[in-house]
Amino acid sequence: MFSMPLPLFAEQIINGIVLGSMYALVASGLTLIWGTMRMLNFAHGEFYMLGGYFFFLLISSLGLPPALAVPLAISLVFLIGLAVQRLAVHPLLGRPQWEFSTLVATLGVSIFLQNAALHIWGERFKTVPYFINGTIDIVGMRLSYQRLLILAVAVVAMLAMWYLLRRTRFGMALRATAMDRDAAMLYGVNVYRVFTITFGIAAALAGLAATMLASINSISPWMGAPLMLKGFVVVVLGGLGSFPGAIVGGIIIGIVETLGVITWSSQWREVISFTVLILILWFRPWGLFGVKES
Amino acid sequence: MTAPENKKPLNNLLILIGIAAVLGVVPLVTQEAYFLHICILALLFGALASSWNLINGYAGIFTFGHQAFFGLGAYGSALMSMKLGLSPWVTMWIAGVMSAALGCLISLPVLRIRSIPHIAIVTLAFAEIVRIVCSNLTEFTRGELGLWGIPPFTSFSLPLIGPVTFDAAHKVAYFYVVVLLWLLIVGITYWILRNRFGFGLRAIRDSQIAAESLGLNLTRYKTMVFALSSMLAGVLGAFYAHYVLILTPSSALGIDIMIQIVAMTLIGGIGRLLGPTIGAFILTFGLEWLRGFGEYRMLIYGVLLVAIVMFLPKGLASMRFGALRRRKSTPSP
Amino acid sequence: MSRLELSRVSAFYGDAQALFDIDLVVEPGEIVAIIGSNGAGKTTVLRTISGLVRPREGSLQYDGRDLASTHPWSVVSHGIAHVPEGRRLFRDMSVQENLMMGAYHRNNAADGKVDLDRVYTLFPRLAERRDQLAGTMSGGEQQMAAIGRALMARPRLLLLDEPSLGLAPKIIETVFKTIREINSEGVGIVLVEQSAQLALETAQRAYLMENGRIVKTGSASDLMNDDAVREAYLGL
Repeated sequence: MFSMPLPLFAEQIINGIVLGSMYALVASGLTLIWGTMRMLNFAHGEFYMLGGYFFFLLISSLGLPPALAVPLAISLVFLIGLAVQRLAVHPLLGRPQWEFSTLVATLGVSIFLQNAALHIWGERFKTVPYFINGTIDIVGMRLSYQRLLILAVAVVAMLAMWYLLRRTRFGMALRATAMDRDAAMLYGVNVYRVFTITFGIAAALAGLAATMLASINSISPWMGAPLMLKGFVVVVLGGLGSFPGAIVGGIIIGIVETLGVITWSSQWREVISFTVLILILWFRPWGLFGVKES
Repeated sequence: MTAPENKKPLNNLLILIGIAAVLGVVPLVTQEAYFLHICILALLFGALASSWNLINGYAGIFTFGHQAFFGLGAYGSALMSMKLGLSPWVTMWIAGVMSAALGCLISLPVLRIRSIPHIAIVTLAFAEIVRIVCSNLTEFTRGELGLWGIPPFTSFSLPLIGPVTFDAAHKVAYFYVVVLLWLLIVGITYWILRNRFGFGLRAIRDSQIAAESLGLNLTRYKTMVFALSSMLAGVLGAFYAHYVLILTPSSALGIDIMIQIVAMTLIGGIGRLLGPTIGAFILTFGLEWLRGFGEYRMLIYGVLLVAIVMFLPKGLASMRFGALRRRKSTPSP
Repeated sequence: MSRLELSRVSAFYGDAQALFDIDLVVEPGEIVAIIGSNGAGKTTVLRTISGLVRPREGSLQYDGRDLASTHPWSVVSHGIAHVPEGRRLFRDMSVQENLMMGAYHRNNAADGKVDLDRVYTLFPRLAERRDQLAGTMSGGEQQMAAIGRALMARPRLLLLDEPSLGLAPKIIETVFKTIREINSEGVGIVLVEQSAQLALETAQRAYLMENGRIVKTGSASDLMNDDAVREAYLGL
């Protein structure tokens, strides 16, 4: 790694940021769900998986251009997110043991969706072509347009989320609910509607990441679980419930993995990021941006 | 604060002995290999979930990486018996000690963390590290190709009973071993609940701060329970290795094992002595029964998991949540 | 008119009964105090009125409307604002955002701005701190912000839970002066206080609660002169 020429090193850093920005999309959904509902969503990987399949179907069966297929695919994932929340999560939230029961319920949803995908679309891996081909050379770095596009989409999505959270009425309600559910209710926030919509948004963010990565990774019923795990690592690293934490954590993990993979080998990718997580939590048990709570 | 089973210790002891007696009679009634196989798996998972319940249900530390200790025990015992030629009866316990050591190691960062999701994710990440390392060290473990050629338990001869043989065709001997292991783990759990150590564990679960103010050494209690629980999981993993005789990282170290443990424990009743075992029997036999549905089996399984937590919360209404509920229900001024 | 009436209300937390047969009336524009020791059920009465706790039995009417079947997030739009115990501000929001949350249910930015000016006139301190995160303010400032947030909801009935808790005597004085001011504009007030002295000095009528039951009721001066109350709650 240290003997690498500088442009190549910079190129790898940028690739790491691109990968990390996708982790950040998946993780920010998990952090929103934790922040509002105080639960771990173990079906999150399956929203990612569905995003990939919907995108593939819209492109290959209907022949839609990516610019149309991406928003359509994430809208479908959003709707499925709403349905999952209403059917499998919402009824448990009022109960005393929801912290654990929602975990098992979302595990059940995950098993269901994974096997439904296997049943409907089969075991064969699907691939989609790059949106744009070609590379660009900047000061000795060779970067593909596809990856730069992914980065641009991630930045736009994050800015849109920031706007939603900070500048809209729904964002106010969401933040109020996350900070104090009872007080939010006292001042007119239908927190249960906030929960449902937040779940849908989180699912859509995971779906967006899948549409972006579809041309780089392939699509399969099992594609969700590793990404979800990565997402959890990122949120815990960044601080549960913290939106900036999810972004910074995602980018850190993305860079660490990319550099780790070229230094050692791709089969140690997860070992590297998980070790980083355990080491960082050793020194900051509440994560980088999290609030220390007992 | 105390579980119902503690109020009637004698009854519970009798129930435990009764169950063991019933289980002991099973092979006298039927020796059908398939049925015994499912029973063995149910008991194995019941015991494994019980060992997890020791950390989670009693000490209130929600870990999500118990498969690491199970898998380490499985691979450790298998490799030791293969490479060193030791008897599985010996390697099984060495593997247990190895798992206990690993449990102590992972308890170090976990002890610094108090939030439930953080502990869950850290332990899960740790277990994934173990799985990937095992999968990548192909010269030892053969990776995902699978480690085969694992010796079965050494056969021996008992007075009055005669030869006890362990091979694929003889499930009865394996059945009795797993019954004993299950009895050992549930017995240890039961015994722990009734002494000072168990009191310390429950104090940790109910309130860390209160436990500290009582002068309990939290670190020592947590490390001890971690080590014990990991050791038991390791021994069970070793049994698994010498029973199925082939191991892959995903079958012995995969997250699926953890999902099963959580589902079984929650369905049977978290923090209850027999909860995990009941859940293990329901889920193991349920999954077998669902084979009739062919390719829809796992779809139905997923829906059933949701339905069970939704409509049978009594399965979940355990002492852990009972305690929480009671605390929350104190009327505020 | 906007009369609040609870009759024979009982409420539970899980299996534990917290309220027994509560009969309580607040006439429009009246200050009613609920006094009693810690754990008597005072907070639960307020939480029941604002829908956070569902009554299991009895009726709960405001303005001729059945509150017991109203969603907790709809109660505020009927004119009832609740300042919970411990303030419960949105910690990581600015003071101004907290105040705007009080007007959330009206969904009318222009109205919100008008009310904001009114609250800032009432509490000039909050105007100075408008951009500060609510969680970083002193207890007294937080209490003002919490009352301000409630006023932003344009209530006709204000539920105040322990407004004096943890505040210095001088600040308590200011807070209670403001409470009387708010009341003089016709807003009814239910005041829950551990400090019976303070509560009875402020209120016109009062209820005394013990173990989830109302054990005495009458005008504030009657209760002030009641021997049992004087001994147990006023320390005289």
